[in-house]
Amino acid sequence: MAIRVAVDIGGTFTDLVSLNEETGEITEEKAHTTPRNYARGVLNSIDQSGLSLEEASYFVHGTTVVINALTEKKGAKTALITTRGFRDVLEIGRSRRPDMYNYYFSKPEPFVRRAFRFEVTERLNNEGEVVTPLAEEELEDIIKTCRDEGVEALAVCFLHSYANPEHEKRCQEIIQEKLPGISITISSDLIRELREFERTSTTVLNAYVQPVTGSYLNTLEDELDNIGLKINPHAMQSNGGSATFSMARKTPINLVESGPVGGVIAGKVLGDIIGEENVITFDIGGTTAKTSLISRGELKVTKDYKVEETPRFPGYPIKLPVVDIIEIGNGGGSIAWVDDVGSLQVGPESAGAEPGPACYNQGGMQPTLTDANLVAGRINPDNFLGGDFEVSLEQAHKSLEEIASEFNISIKEAALGIIKRANSNMMNALKLISVRRGYDPREFVMVGQGGNGAVMGPELGKELRVNKIIIPPRPATFSAFGMLMTDLRQDRIQTQIMSLADCDLAKINSIYQQLENEARDVYFQQGIKDQDLLFIRSADIRYTGQEHTVQTPVESGKITDQELKSIREKFDQLHHNYYTFNLPESQAEFVNLNLTAYATVSKPELSRASDDGSLEKAYSGTRAILFNEFGAQESKVYQRQHLPVATSINGPLAVEESKSVTIIDPEQKLEVDQYGNLIITSRSDIR
Amino acid sequence: MSRIDPFTRENIGQGLIAAAEEMFASWGRTSQSTIIYEVLDYAAGLTDSRANLIGQANGVTGFLGTITYGVKSVIDKFGLDNLKPDDIVLTNDPYTGSGTHLCDVSAVMPIYYQGELIAFASNKGHWNEIGGMNLGSWSTGSTEIYQEGLQFPSIKVYREGELNTAVRDMIAANCRTPEMTLGDLYAQTASLRIAERRVVELCDKYGREAVKESIDSLLNKGKQRALNELKDMPKGTFSSEGYIDTESNGIDDVYITAEITITDEKFIIDITGSDEQVPAPINCTRYGALSAARVAYHSLASPDAQPNEGFYSPIELKGPQGTVFTATRPAPISCNWEGFAHLTDLVARALAPVMPERITAGHFLSIMGTIVGGIDDDSGSPFVLCEPQAGGWGAGVDKDGENGLVAIDDGDTYNIPVEVAEHKYPIRVEQYAFNLNSGAGKYRGGYGLYRDYRILNSSADLTVIASRYRYPPWGVAGGQQGSPNYIEVYHQDEEEPVTRPTFTNYSLVEGELVRFVTGGGGGYGKPEERNPKRVLEDVRDGFITVEEAENAYGVCLDAEKMIVLKEETEKLRSNRP
Repeated sequence: MAIRVAVDIGGTFTDLVSLNEETGEITEEKAHTTPRNYARGVLNSIDQSGLSLEEASYFVHGTTVVINALTEKKGAKTALITTRGFRDVLEIGRSRRPDMYNYYFSKPEPFVRRAFRFEVTERLNNEGEVVTPLAEEELEDIIKTCRDEGVEALAVCFLHSYANPEHEKRCQEIIQEKLPGISITISSDLIRELREFERTSTTVLNAYVQPVTGSYLNTLEDELDNIGLKINPHAMQSNGGSATFSMARKTPINLVESGPVGGVIAGKVLGDIIGEENVITFDIGGTTAKTSLISRGELKVTKDYKVEETPRFPGYPIKLPVVDIIEIGNGGGSIAWVDDVGSLQVGPESAGAEPGPACYNQGGMQPTLTDANLVAGRINPDNFLGGDFEVSLEQAHKSLEEIASEFNISIKEAALGIIKRANSNMMNALKLISVRRGYDPREFVMVGQGGNGAVMGPELGKELRVNKIIIPPRPATFSAFGMLMTDLRQDRIQTQIMSLADCDLAKINSIYQQLENEARDVYFQQGIKDQDLLFIRSADIRYTGQEHTVQTPVESGKITDQELKSIREKFDQLHHNYYTFNLPESQAEFVNLNLTAYATVSKPELSRASDDGSLEKAYSGTRAILFNEFGAQESKVYQRQHLPVATSINGPLAVEESKSVTIIDPEQKLEVDQYGNLIITSRSDIR
Repeated sequence: MSRIDPFTRENIGQGLIAAAEEMFASWGRTSQSTIIYEVLDYAAGLTDSRANLIGQANGVTGFLGTITYGVKSVIDKFGLDNLKPDDIVLTNDPYTGSGTHLCDVSAVMPIYYQGELIAFASNKGHWNEIGGMNLGSWSTGSTEIYQEGLQFPSIKVYREGELNTAVRDMIAANCRTPEMTLGDLYAQTASLRIAERRVVELCDKYGREAVKESIDSLLNKGKQRALNELKDMPKGTFSSEGYIDTESNGIDDVYITAEITITDEKFIIDITGSDEQVPAPINCTRYGALSAARVAYHSLASPDAQPNEGFYSPIELKGPQGTVFTATRPAPISCNWEGFAHLTDLVARALAPVMPERITAGHFLSIMGTIVGGIDDDSGSPFVLCEPQAGGWGAGVDKDGENGLVAIDDGDTYNIPVEVAEHKYPIRVEQYAFNLNSGAGKYRGGYGLYRDYRILNSSADLTVIASRYRYPPWGVAGGQQGSPNYIEVYHQDEEEPVTRPTFTNYSLVEGELVRFVTGGGGGYGKPEERNPKRVLEDVRDGFITVEEAENAYGVCLDAEKMIVLKEETEKLRSNRP
């Protein structure tokens, strides 16, 4: 028997999902997250599940260790070496002031203080040619200071090193020899893309989290070994692929969004299984809602990720591919409040797990979205978290009184008001990821997940006008399920500015070839065979003079004049899609050549839902549910585990399960497919 | 009474603001000029059908303040009846509403729904080249506006969706980089259409009346917010004075003064007494001054308030026409940000003693607008590197000043990366580093920057302007003043650099170096009150020396052990007044 195991650390719970490759059976388990020693929570979840890791054929881990080290500033004592004249670049940043009217605006604190930012004499020009050779002897003093000060990690980023990594490599060699214990990151190993601040920032952040991530992964690997794991464990990367622990130790910064990515992959996997290639994932948890988009079976990745960025704070750039997820501070625990000019707001402040929403009766007095959902009858107070958790409808009511009196409306209207505001916030995020990027939601299905995705998803999906809304089985641990199905992934990027019109095709071809060779070597070292590798190429192209580029797909294999022409056409088309115009007569140029290298892992078949239920068995009564459009509607309630395959019933109704509830309005229809997914569409007899 | 519930109304309002933001993002991604896409020297906003600002995206603060007046000037010229769907009007006329210099071109588009005018979309950005006496168009030596480039006195560049080719050809013929300039025209106008699309969608979904009602509600709430904030502000009249000292066209000191009166309902800035407009391009017009007033008021009243006409309604600007802040045709205005920035600074300085929780000590203020341009030896085409510089900001009641940050009239504005600059222009950047001179204080001023360009082309012209050359940023509550802005040119075979605040079409040859030095901010509180631990950390970080620690802060350090000598420090400090 072979099983696949995914363990995903979240803020409150560590989720484990396993899949039996022979029977297709899936199990889930939740253990408390253990912030002092995250590995403990991972092991607890395995222990509770009763699984034997000796039988594991694949083990993948979603971890918050990197993002926590960054946001809590608990990484290594880090030093930086730059080209002479540029050690302050890290602190100058892009010198922007997004909080425009605030004289008290504060820039991000650099992760390396000035005392540990060193300069060496060396210089390359933008072609990568040496203008001033590396003054190797200057490293002596730097090494001494690092040793004396107990520096644990070192970042090296020289100007134009994307065009020629030799100085950085030499620097690394010398230091490694003199300071064998220190962990060193050179920028050219991470990214070969221009813009010194962003590249330096990425390099520094990688160095900063490397020791802590390394020791965490080492500890966990040892522990897993102790309990019998026979295979190499994998970590979930923010680019949507996985990497072995040993690869993750080299570029830990790739784990920055290790957790949230799972939900997106899960959406893609589900789409693959049921034959939907266009998917909008929508994951609503306790404090945030996250959405991402899969078009034609492909995840969208961005290179504009910034840690802690907000509209008023520049954040810390990481110029590496991260799955494009829009996250907003609206979830079940988000607090509703009235601002000083009398507008109702929801979030971003959250009641969290302590004290939690007012209905938890743990001292929380402020109304949350969950309280509003409870008062609106969307959540069943008698079956909250499968009845394991007692909630107080009375406290929920009470918490809404202030808002009701502020607007001079009833408690129920206040609840609906909160839901409307939260819906609007979430709708903005959903539009940002779809229509604002040129996608037509009618060509997409929405997958609702997380504790609240099933409650809010159907209503929002209808408003966004997606084709259908899908609530998968076990929506609350769906993210971990996604991780079970990930392929290994590496991303490689090389800046090469070159006009398309007089393009040196031999050079372009040789760069792609070299990127493939580099990626292939890494996989070969892990014993992965050629037939399991998949290379996807693209190029960042722009009109000459522009800076921002459009990522344009490029076919594999040797690029001919014919293919070049088709690349140009695709670029013009995409530019038009994104920005409503294009300039087919203008010159265009390559900026970056990108390669994504997948090593595919075998994907087992999922078992189909067992079919011993019936509507009668599933039916558990009725209750009044408040809908935005229709007011209060007496709605039938069903228990999900008893709903038979091929069910087809009209709303209004609610489907309850152990950790979630799905709400379906009078104009919607519910069907259950062969995998047990709830499929919600608009009723054809009405519209 | 209202037909829609307050929550839906709020949602529509947020949708309108999102439309402005989307318009902004789209332009940045499609522009062909570094000054737009890298520096983000542009802004976007939405007004109602009477030119009342509904919402705006982040951008350049100095531009944002003019959106209202630009739209007003378009309505004034054409009248509502003569505007049609899919018209797009260009204006850069500083005296009638566009407000800033000619390079900053405003585009205005009326948005209709089922034939009824609902709103205007407007954006404004810096076009890299618009003709005039100088490569890069704006000049530090102009004496009248006719030298400063092409003027668009509110003209329809698109008439009901159709490009006015005569205008296009005029632009192309009068600019040094026609392809880039026209590319920017297309990017700018295309982004207006994105805003239009979003407004129409909102009308489709909620109905026209609901959208109109939401706009009114948004403006009313803005006004309510303003009145709430005014209630908490100190009442009375406050004044300050200073000089604009760019030395442009040989004019050393231009005297400026402002009197600010705050009541429960009004925020009045009176600039009476300031010098008359000067034959140097540092003047701003009344619309520029009104925009400056918005920025200053916004910072004081509530930095996180949503900007809209209601929120800005308490502002009044008093004083005669024809001053350096209210210049009239044909006064030169191509470096109008000097007038603009100094007006915001007069207000800040006047209020700093009574509103220390909002205003930090003086900052480098002058954006040090820079052009390095010429004809590229390799390509034979013109190149124009145009950028603002970042500098040091002042300290506040509980914090040191920020290092290397753009000035008040820039906002979400970026520097140009060294690697991008070297790719695009024949220069080598030899240094980008802190200028470690700023005002000492309990909290010290932030540091300005050094930025060095070595010329790699046979020749290049330098045009740059800065104020705060002889009058550095001010300190507060015993904090010391900051350090000045200046520019140094290192000629070959000459030891000493030529140092000035302003250069106009100044010739450089291959191998020569220009150093831009921005000042450090003023300090807050007496230096002797600075926590010795902070002084020690500053020494460790190489911000100050052991000697400076002792001289400026009265802190004695053991340089070997890197510790504070407590007794010696107490003794030294107690001996100082």
